[in-house]
Amino acid sequence: MQVKVEKQYPIATGVEQAWKILSDVPELAACMPGADLSEKVDDQHYKGNIKIKVGPVTAAFGGEIEILDLLVADKTIRLRGKGSDKGGSSASMDLTALLQAGEKPGECVLVGSADVIVNGKFAQFGGRMLNSVTDMVLDQFAQNFSAKAAALQPAASAGADTSRAAAPQMNTQLNALTIAWQLLKDFFANLFGRRKSGAAD
Amino acid sequence: MNASITERQAALMGMGDSRLRKEDARFIQGKGNYVDDIKMPGMLHMAIVRSPFAHARIKGINKAKALAIPGVLAVLTADDLKPLKLHWMPTLAGDVQAVLADAKVHFQMQEVAVVIAEDRYIADDAVQAVEVEYEELPAVVDPHKALLPEAPVLREDLAGKSEGAHGKRYHPNHIFTWEAGDQAAADAALAKAEVKVEQKMFYPRVHPCPLETCGCVASFDPIRGELTTYMTSQAPHVVRTVVSMLSGIPESKVRIISPDIGGGFGNKVPIYPGYVCAIVASIVLGRPVKWVEDRIENISSTGFARDYHMSGELAATKDGKITGLKVNVIADHGAFDSCADPSKFPAGMFHICTGSYAIPSAYCRVDGVYTNKAPGGVAYRCSFRVTEAVYLIERMVDVLAQKLNLDKAEIRARNFIRKEQFPYKSALGFEYDSGDYHTALKKVLDAVDYKGLRAEQAAKRADPKSPTLMGIGLVSFTEVVGAGPSKICDILGVGMFDSCEIRVHPTGSAIARMGTISQGQGHQTTYAQIIATELGLPSEVIQVEEGDTSTAPYGLGTYGSRSTPVAGAAIAMASRKIHAKAKKIAAHLLEVSENDLDWEIDRFKVKGNDAKFKTMKDVAWAAYHQPPAGMEPGLEAVHYYDPPNFTFPFGIYLCVVDISKATGETAIRRFYALDDCGTRINPMIIEGQIHGGLTEGFAVAMGQLLSFDEQGNIQGNTLMDYFLPTMVETPRWETDHTVTPSPHHPIGAKGVAESPHVGSIPTFTSAVVDAFAHLGVTHMEMPHTSARVWKQLQASGVACE
Repeated sequence: MQVKVEKQYPIATGVEQAWKILSDVPELAACMPGADLSEKVDDQHYKGNIKIKVGPVTAAFGGEIEILDLLVADKTIRLRGKGSDKGGSSASMDLTALLQAGEKPGECVLVGSADVIVNGKFAQFGGRMLNSVTDMVLDQFAQNFSAKAAALQPAASAGADTSRAAAPQMNTQLNALTIAWQLLKDFFANLFGRRKSGAAD
Repeated sequence: MNASITERQAALMGMGDSRLRKEDARFIQGKGNYVDDIKMPGMLHMAIVRSPFAHARIKGINKAKALAIPGVLAVLTADDLKPLKLHWMPTLAGDVQAVLADAKVHFQMQEVAVVIAEDRYIADDAVQAVEVEYEELPAVVDPHKALLPEAPVLREDLAGKSEGAHGKRYHPNHIFTWEAGDQAAADAALAKAEVKVEQKMFYPRVHPCPLETCGCVASFDPIRGELTTYMTSQAPHVVRTVVSMLSGIPESKVRIISPDIGGGFGNKVPIYPGYVCAIVASIVLGRPVKWVEDRIENISSTGFARDYHMSGELAATKDGKITGLKVNVIADHGAFDSCADPSKFPAGMFHICTGSYAIPSAYCRVDGVYTNKAPGGVAYRCSFRVTEAVYLIERMVDVLAQKLNLDKAEIRARNFIRKEQFPYKSALGFEYDSGDYHTALKKVLDAVDYKGLRAEQAAKRADPKSPTLMGIGLVSFTEVVGAGPSKICDILGVGMFDSCEIRVHPTGSAIARMGTISQGQGHQTTYAQIIATELGLPSEVIQVEEGDTSTAPYGLGTYGSRSTPVAGAAIAMASRKIHAKAKKIAAHLLEVSENDLDWEIDRFKVKGNDAKFKTMKDVAWAAYHQPPAGMEPGLEAVHYYDPPNFTFPFGIYLCVVDISKATGETAIRRFYALDDCGTRINPMIIEGQIHGGLTEGFAVAMGQLLSFDEQGNIQGNTLMDYFLPTMVETPRWETDHTVTPSPHHPIGAKGVAESPHVGSIPTFTSAVVDAFAHLGVTHMEMPHTSARVWKQLQASGVACE
């Protein structure tokens, strides 16, 4: 099961602030709901885990993240994640993320594109939900990212490295109930959205 | 007082009577006895660990956590079956199939290990606890890609084997090439044809999806050395032979019982790894073991159907007379060739693809290919691959009609085999027994006012404001069923005869034991009717028993519409043996010569003297009480019937659809099905079978599909996605019939239950395509879901905004 994702998220900080998070793999991983880094192999390689529950399937992926490129000038990071779960799912993702200046000063845009391949039980049972789930995971990721970057700002301006102490409110778990609720909400939103636009035509 | 002849006839409820089904009393009260209803003392439960990946190497299996769960007795893997040489098993198609994956998995949901536990819940929990480490390999799901030189080798176990069960293999992923007809003649016809058409079409992978999934209860008695297995099998005797061969237990100590079966449709013909593992587990543990698969397991891993990539070419004259047919097929058989066909026919009866038409030259070639998908290729409510063949020829004839701007009905009438040409030898080697296609076609066209429909359609096409597109589908199919003559048809070397044993009891009731097994066909009802008419005993006092190999005579089972053509003939022949003996007894009782006796409904009477007679009931008593001197007492017979030929039921189906230009939804306005199955045994049951077959045909044509993503993950293997029509979706069916008996069958019956499935599927496609025909569309692929039809509306520029 292959999914291509192209996404843009507004971030409530300037590019430089946001880049501090984007270029710091442990910080970046902490934005990912359900994920945690277990080991730094070297500057390019990390090991970690991510827990996801979709419909009837729970998966605990253990895997590796490899930094393919870290381009400071372009504010771009390219990485590859690969993992598998003992229950019989595997996933891989090639991700390119970059930061662009926002419309107003003090804002920026996180531009991401990813190729995700999911195999095994997840692809078999979650196939129909995969796009929506990917969207939701990334939305939560972007929210966390933005919150983290914003939390960093006052610390940065104070010139002290206390950013990590100011723990922002974050979604740290990808929860089945949340997903079900979100799917339902999206479904109705689409339904009424379509009706409204239809009536307007 | 003597009852009139008509009253006596009616009392028998014999052939032609719409007698109510004997089975229904227990089914509608929930008193059926299915495999999952069977509970035995000390019974254990088995569940299967399945591969999450379509293609992967197994690097290790860790059973420890599963075995630590209280209530788990055993976890078996291929390594455990190896010492018994049961980790692989032979398939019906001459290939081998992994019972439990040996070093590699070849399709998603393949059986990797089994867990045996005290109850089903523990077994399922333990399945989750078995840890299997995989190394994923690139999967091949497209059979065309499987044949590319650079394609990964799927079956490493066959490495270096260039010779398969059906001749040369030209690629590691190639299984067989099968040909019929005269290629040079077909090529010549195409070369000099005035008109030629060509069409590619894909008959997608579907699944029969019977309401009851597959399962068994295996019970080995270590003291007696006897193995009894209750199994959802359409062919219990063949299973007994295979189990005996695999296990080394003498066939006399193996008993296979098919109890009530909740639908088969070909899905319950193969022998599945689950059966083998449950039997092994019972032998090893000395306790009964039950295995019943769930719906997802059923759809994902047991016998699928179709998956034929077909291309056809027709040669014809300018006035639409077909002169030649050429067909090429790439057949996706999945990971193992476990297709259920007669041994010598790896593409089944696909060479019926010349259809109802007198086509002088024809050639067809089928290439079987391995892919990383579940094995199967079963005959889903059809005789082996007949559905595919009928779809192909009926689509081709439509395409030709469109090219020539000829009416669909007219082109068919011009090419039909004429009534006087039967028995007709087809260019691909069949001898059609009987038919009268022109009469049937005329009857249908008159019944639906075909001209009126065409006029309505023309008016709708001319009106750009019409909210719908109207399509008329027409199909004139011929099936080949009743496999079959044992000189050409066998399963694992056993000829495809069938059998019947009848015992008439002293008081004039009887029991018939059969080699077939009903899965809903109503054998208990219809078989008794044949005996009633043949022997003059009321069908109400005739018991029919099937499915227990310890009591029934050997038979090949029920699939491919073979029960009536083969077993039905065996019943008639066994009855006639009894009848012949009864006549001798009657002559003895009446003190006349046999030649002085006439048979009338239920009695032998002395010619010219209606008052002097002995009924069959009288004769039965005498057979046990005072048989003529020198005659064996008793009144029973066994007959093994080896059919001289197949039978060829046919039909004309017409369908009218209205397609919404706004949504692509297809409304079936009318479906008219005329069937000719020869002699009709029970019109009500025929009608029911036709309704069922049409409904399954509707399912296939309009919604059923097993699809896979590029990595071989099966998509839509639950009933949330897999379309199973209910009363809500099912259209109203109109049925009709003609009767053209089979000349070689003892009672002239041809078999019917599969005709409506085979015939209706191309009718739906014909109707949907016809709605777009004026826009230049010649073919649309199944299933005709609203989304697909809507895309065609867009592409043809007629979608309504």
